[in-house]
Amino acid sequence: MVAQPITIAMAGNPNVGKSTLFNALTGARQHVGNWPGKTVEKKEGRLHLDGQDVIVVDLPGTYSLTAYSSEEVISRDFIINEQPGAVVAVVDAANLERNLYLVTQLLELEVPVIVALNMSDIARSRGLTIDASKLSVQLNGMPVIETVGNSGIGVDALKAAIRQVAATDTTNPVTIRYMPVLEQEIAQLTARIQTIPDLARRYRPRWLALKLLEADEDLISRLQAHRTLLQHAEAAASRIEMATDEDAETLITDGRYSFIQTVVSSALTRPREALETRSDQIDRVLTHRLYGVPIFLLLMWVVFQFTANVSAPFLDWVDGVISGPLARWASALMGAVGLGGSWVEALLVDGVIAGVGGVLVFVPVLMSLYLAIGILEDSGYMARAAFVMDRVMRAMGLHGKSFLPMLVGFGCTVPAVYATRTLENESDRKLTGFLVTFMSCGARLPVYVVIGAAFFGARAGNLIFSMYLLGIGVALFTGWALKHTVYRNKPPQPFVMELPPYRVPRLRDVWRQTWERTSSFVRKAGTIILATSVVIWLLMALPARSGSLNDVAPADSVFGTISDTISPVFAPAGFGNWQATGSLITGFVAKEVVIGTMGQIYAGEAEAVPETEAAPTLMADLTMIGTSFVEASALTFQEVVNIVPRTVNLVPGVHLAEANFLGMDAEEEDTTTLEAALTQVFTPLAAVAFTVFVLLYTPCMVTVAAMRQEFGARFTLYQIGYTFAVAWLAAVLVYQVGTLLGLGV
Amino acid sequence: MASQLREVLNRFADRSAPVSIKRMAQEMGIDPNVLSGMIDYWVRKGKLREVSSGGEACHTCGIKGACPYVITLPRSYELAGDDDAQSNPPCHCGHCSS
Repeated sequence: MVAQPITIAMAGNPNVGKSTLFNALTGARQHVGNWPGKTVEKKEGRLHLDGQDVIVVDLPGTYSLTAYSSEEVISRDFIINEQPGAVVAVVDAANLERNLYLVTQLLELEVPVIVALNMSDIARSRGLTIDASKLSVQLNGMPVIETVGNSGIGVDALKAAIRQVAATDTTNPVTIRYMPVLEQEIAQLTARIQTIPDLARRYRPRWLALKLLEADEDLISRLQAHRTLLQHAEAAASRIEMATDEDAETLITDGRYSFIQTVVSSALTRPREALETRSDQIDRVLTHRLYGVPIFLLLMWVVFQFTANVSAPFLDWVDGVISGPLARWASALMGAVGLGGSWVEALLVDGVIAGVGGVLVFVPVLMSLYLAIGILEDSGYMARAAFVMDRVMRAMGLHGKSFLPMLVGFGCTVPAVYATRTLENESDRKLTGFLVTFMSCGARLPVYVVIGAAFFGARAGNLIFSMYLLGIGVALFTGWALKHTVYRNKPPQPFVMELPPYRVPRLRDVWRQTWERTSSFVRKAGTIILATSVVIWLLMALPARSGSLNDVAPADSVFGTISDTISPVFAPAGFGNWQATGSLITGFVAKEVVIGTMGQIYAGEAEAVPETEAAPTLMADLTMIGTSFVEASALTFQEVVNIVPRTVNLVPGVHLAEANFLGMDAEEEDTTTLEAALTQVFTPLAAVAFTVFVLLYTPCMVTVAAMRQEFGARFTLYQIGYTFAVAWLAAVLVYQVGTLLGLGV
Repeated sequence: MASQLREVLNRFADRSAPVSIKRMAQEMGIDPNVLSGMIDYWVRKGKLREVSSGGEACHTCGIKGACPYVITLPRSYELAGDDDAQSNPPCHCGHCSS
């Protein structure tokens, strides 16, 4: 006679190698489907043990058998309804205590359990020693098998244990004992359940008593027909809470953890050195109470050196290609189709290419920034930055957690505004909403790069770093001022963070993140910046008083006239010209447009200068593109190498020579057309004041929309007014004080 | 005597500076993974709340959690307050809708 197949279930936490072990047990004899009425995958397999057919069911990965998720309900319903011959509890040996929590719940279901100590090789590699036999003794003789699923180690022993448990059909029950007051109520409730045949047949009475005391919603909804029992359970839970000042569910959960600690204490030995990992050692320096903030600032300085100097050669290359061959080819194409000299050509060359192209020039800069941020993120440092800055924030009376949205603001202000939702308190949310706009987003970077390259050459990185630092400084000052006036409330609660271990950044992940962020910037250039460029071109082509379309000097256009009318406002800050004012107006649409507009203005003004040289041939253009690319690559390499001496040279009295194996340095690099034009209009001091204004005034219209949605129209209006006032005051202060001191005038 | 689970909550309430889960577990003399399990328990009970770094902030966005501009930070937790239940208005960040 053929024996009836027996059913074995496999349970375990997610990511403990349960599926690998399941495959090792069942081989190719598997069936994959869904659990009835659920979208959760159900895997079933078969194996033969000495003629005994065994059906192995892979239960969904869960941390417990409560009723908080459909996976948990599926798992426990299967065990209750199907009553498998045994449950193989797959446990991650390297995380024994956490994994044993599920085992305690299996024990309460009074089902035969076999513990598979999986990934025992990883546990050993971490210096953990688990005595399987002692663990088995602690669990009243329950089989405990060490396995390594992906290499098949322990699988035969596991099969033998399954065979033995299936053959004996007995269990050595392990009962977790709770505190006396709890045990007393459990006993009374268990006795009551045993008097209800329907329930006693269906459930293990002690387990059901525990679940009712835990107020398990799923079971309570199923037992609505047993109102009296539910009332008794409710009364018992109330008595427990009265006696202990703690709810029954917490006491039961706590009891399980205590049981685990007792079980593990004699079976698990940890190495003493495991208490401090390499990450801990690094953290002792990087998150140090005193050095943490200076190290954070130093790292940011390196990031901006990298961003400004490493990308500069490619910035010049892209600018050379766009303003040179590309613009010439577009003009030639227009000429070939009979539109040479028409407004269409002007729109294409002075509007689209000068505006959008002027922004696309900064793709290498943004890419460098995103690459540097990606490396910091992937290495695990960014999490520490929030940690380190918490002290500074709290010293100013601010919520340390406010720095999380502020960090997001380094990328883009819009998600930073939404990230303020992480703050629980409305006034903290609004306060942080004020602060995030001062964090320098990626869109502001092109302005710093252009101004930095035009006026500070190889020291452009210092200007960029100063702007980011100023943004943080103004944000902290604003926060401090508002916290002591408008948004007074209780001291903020500190947070507890799951700090990941440090690791060498994974090139693929860093590149994916860099690419996604950069391509998002490029998409923006193709939509909002393109549209703005066309509108600005139109306003610059329309004469304010007399003349015809596209036949007017930019200063006499509608755009030039409006900008000129407003420009006296900025005179105290040193940039009271219509070009700067016009750029700041359009910068409200998006900060990249500041540079796009400048590109259009100066492209329009440059038209007045007739070209005397003959246009290069197509072959000459292509050769120039190729050779300048090679040159830019070599210069970039040189700049990467020079980050080291530039960083070391920050130490007073130290001077390392910078590498110059190409015979040219950043000072000798070509300046872009726009950079050259700016030096004619701005003094260095006025340029810095302009940059400060760009940093501090309202980020963009999308941010305004996000703030209106999050905080309301009135708050948003205050915010716009405040940022404008702060930006204007700061710019004026920089210019006037600088002038008094005779700096850069 | 306060239960170990209650001690976790007390430690959250008594902190004056942020701390890592590992450090808090060391202070309590328990395994960090066990502390994570205990924190999850209190999150389910509504006594603690998980703090997202912002990636999940745009709840109606088609690419929520994958906004390229959001810097990914690890999970953080804090004591939950009374005004936790809040609506999540749609995202209009301009980057997510594309």
